[in-house]
Amino acid sequence: MSNSAQEIENLISQEYKQGFVTELEVDTFPPGLDEDVIRRLSKVKNEPEFMLEYRLKAFRHWQTMPSPDWAQLNIEPIDYQAISYYSAPKSKKDGPKSLDEVDPELLDTYKKLGIPLDEQERLAGIAVDAVFDSVSVATTFKGKLKDAGVIFCPMSEALNEYPELVKQYLGSVVPVGDNFFAALNSAVFTDGSFVYIPKGVRCPMELSTYFRINAANTGQFERTLIIADEGSHVSYLEGCTAPMRDENQLHAAVVELVALDNATIKYSTVQNWYPGDKDGVGGIYNFVTKRAECRGHNSKVSWTQVETGSAITWKYPSCVLLGDNSIGEFYSVALTNNLQQADTGTKMIHIGKNTRSTIVSKGISAGRAQNTYRGLVKVAKSAENARNHTQCDSLLVGDKCGAHTFPYVEVKQPSAQIEHEATTSKISEDQLFFCQQRGLSAEDAVSMIVNGFCKEVFKELPMEFAVEAQALLGISLEGSVG
Amino acid sequence: MSNDAYLAAYPALAERLPGQDLAWLQQFRQSGLQAFAAHGFPTLRDEEWRYTNLAALSKTQFAPTALQTAADDLLAEYRVADAALLVLVNGHFVPALSDLADLPAGVTVLSLAQALQQQAAKVADYLGKAVAETEHSLVAFNNAWFADGLWLEVAAKQVLSKPLQILHLVTESTALAATRQLVVVNQQAEAEIIETFVGNVDSYFTACVNECFVEQNAGLTWYKLQAEASKAQHFGGTYAKQARDSRFSHHNFAFGSLLARSDVHSDLDIASECSLNGLYLAAQRQHIDNHTRINHLKPHGISREFYKGVLDQKARAVFQGRVVVAEDAQKTDSEMNNRNLLLSSDAEIDTKPQLEIYADDVKCSHGVTVGQLEEKSLFYLQSRGIDEEAARHVLTFAFANEMVDKVENSSLKALLLKQLLARFSGIEF
Repeated sequence: MSNSAQEIENLISQEYKQGFVTELEVDTFPPGLDEDVIRRLSKVKNEPEFMLEYRLKAFRHWQTMPSPDWAQLNIEPIDYQAISYYSAPKSKKDGPKSLDEVDPELLDTYKKLGIPLDEQERLAGIAVDAVFDSVSVATTFKGKLKDAGVIFCPMSEALNEYPELVKQYLGSVVPVGDNFFAALNSAVFTDGSFVYIPKGVRCPMELSTYFRINAANTGQFERTLIIADEGSHVSYLEGCTAPMRDENQLHAAVVELVALDNATIKYSTVQNWYPGDKDGVGGIYNFVTKRAECRGHNSKVSWTQVETGSAITWKYPSCVLLGDNSIGEFYSVALTNNLQQADTGTKMIHIGKNTRSTIVSKGISAGRAQNTYRGLVKVAKSAENARNHTQCDSLLVGDKCGAHTFPYVEVKQPSAQIEHEATTSKISEDQLFFCQQRGLSAEDAVSMIVNGFCKEVFKELPMEFAVEAQALLGISLEGSVG
Repeated sequence: MSNDAYLAAYPALAERLPGQDLAWLQQFRQSGLQAFAAHGFPTLRDEEWRYTNLAALSKTQFAPTALQTAADDLLAEYRVADAALLVLVNGHFVPALSDLADLPAGVTVLSLAQALQQQAAKVADYLGKAVAETEHSLVAFNNAWFADGLWLEVAAKQVLSKPLQILHLVTESTALAATRQLVVVNQQAEAEIIETFVGNVDSYFTACVNECFVEQNAGLTWYKLQAEASKAQHFGGTYAKQARDSRFSHHNFAFGSLLARSDVHSDLDIASECSLNGLYLAAQRQHIDNHTRINHLKPHGISREFYKGVLDQKARAVFQGRVVVAEDAQKTDSEMNNRNLLLSSDAEIDTKPQLEIYADDVKCSHGVTVGQLEEKSLFYLQSRGIDEEAARHVLTFAFANEMVDKVENSSLKALLLKQLLARFSGIEF
């Protein structure tokens, strides 16, 4: 084995740093799922009546659906009755009024994760909603946001305080029966973030949610709903981690975005769920439905994701471009290592006139991982002058991994211009040699080449995330130069 | 009518199929029949068929026929000059219409029925070896139903002096022409085959499977011209197995039929080369589905794929190109390209280029474009005094002609050019 190959090997074998468990007193439902569990869940969360009906409808539909098997994934059958559908840190009866009342263990956890929950410190000036297992534990900067008219709160709170808004938009982008995991989420989702940006408001700061699965044998089912009213603008960040456990845990989230006339939503994700160990034991099943509707004219939605975690990722953030001149963007870096599997990509559905979309997907596969890009670009008959450019590049690190590209292009409009390009290659010996000859170590060279490979995506990330993403990529790949 | 009708009619047909005395063949057919009975014709629920609806095959029951009525005008029109001619009428080889006297040296030509009588063991070595019934149920259907076909074998080190033209002609309404061709090109041999599909009746169903074996260092060039009648249903699959250092090149021209599905698959051994070209022109309510798969199984393979399509009126086309690079297949070099021209707002293209890669030291890429004629080019031609319609025709013709240009056989090229020009009035040379 060459020197460089060895270093790649080392880089690959880096450990997961967020794998600690927090010892907290928690309220957890016993495992199992039936209508009673859903009723109880709805009751615990003190939800309005319409929510219970919504959940039951979703649950009944879910029972009739088969688990999808079309993805290029090898999924062990999931026993949905062995999962606990609710787990919450036991807090004082009425919930924390301020950060002082939040369990210090919990705050420690978030500190370990580097999340600026502590409002006093105003570390990064980002408003954070932290979701721990099933419930939202703290939301920062509420006051400042309220002054601007922005609603940013846990979903459970929104259900009580803004039921009309939630009722109007919940499930309007991802209907209850959309797919197997979305139906399950609709039935049992526990919390998540709710964002409403009123007309003409430019959200004064980045909004951020941090998700963490802590308890064993639980699933996390969060639901995020973001509504950008006419002429508004919001940038939203999402991060995820989980402890290291030997069994697989399920994470089935649904994210719905609605952009009205002239509104812009930028949604960034750094997904770093526990990927399992090097033999593929444990890890999170990340089965997420994310969809945005550009309902208004000139609206814009931009998805940026950096996917480095999870044992299995099954995720296709989509844009439905309904409004004329609306824009959809998708920038993705997906890195799989060891026995990780990812089947991810996007859907761009062009319906309005002059709609444009851009897809840039960078897949990096190392170890024995399988990394698949699966994307759909669909141009309806009504979408005159629709424009799409897709670029999918895959980088293979090591000779036991796989990289696959499955784009679907469906066009019914002759004035559409669609371009799709894909390439697959490895880090060439020439490139490495060139860098090393200029005095870089093999590891730095690989890191530089990989970062260069992902640059197009990283430049779309907000500053703080871009730094984190680059570091994450370095860690996940450490030793894999070759 | 449904799949059941085909199954119900099968026992009566089975007695008339060739190779009655061969137990292995009976078993082969039975197994195909069972696979077909289990799945029926593929439906939109099958991932590989999600854009192609075969409901028409179940609505009319297409039945095999032994009638051998010829159609001289079609034979004359599609006959390629300077090629040995092999004619199959309604799915049966007809020596009387063929031109066997003029066969190039070094090639053995038998009808499949004949081959099963004279050299059954040899047929057994090859039948079903390039494609299995598990591929999809139309292959299984062909396994059970094929009534005849051809056995073509080129002896080692023989470079054929002229091409062989296989002309499939259907002259009976609602006929089912299920044929199987086995083509063996032995070591260091070279062959060129021109496959032509035509018909002069309304509605019929062609279900043709070709298995090609290109042995070490041999070369096979295959031209397919699908010019079926306007209401025909066509399935044509060509499945190649390439030994090391072999060359296989396939040119696929899909002009005719109401619904056509074409499979071109190739398995590549060490350092073999594969090139797939295609042109589909669809108008009215035509549906043309092209499915290709290149399996790089061993190192140093090279593949090039280039498919172009022009869609007008209510036509719909599907392109699925898949390149698989196995774990062993290091140093693979693969390129795929699919370009589509949409001329009408009722036309639709669904394209699915796929890369599936399990080796790391590879160079693979694919590209797809969908678009319309460029305004600038149109304006340029109009500014030179060419009216808009003619300008469109010139540009469309030029787009399509790129694929015809890749044809090396000049007689065939002339035939293709004639077909192409017939579609674009106002262009003269």
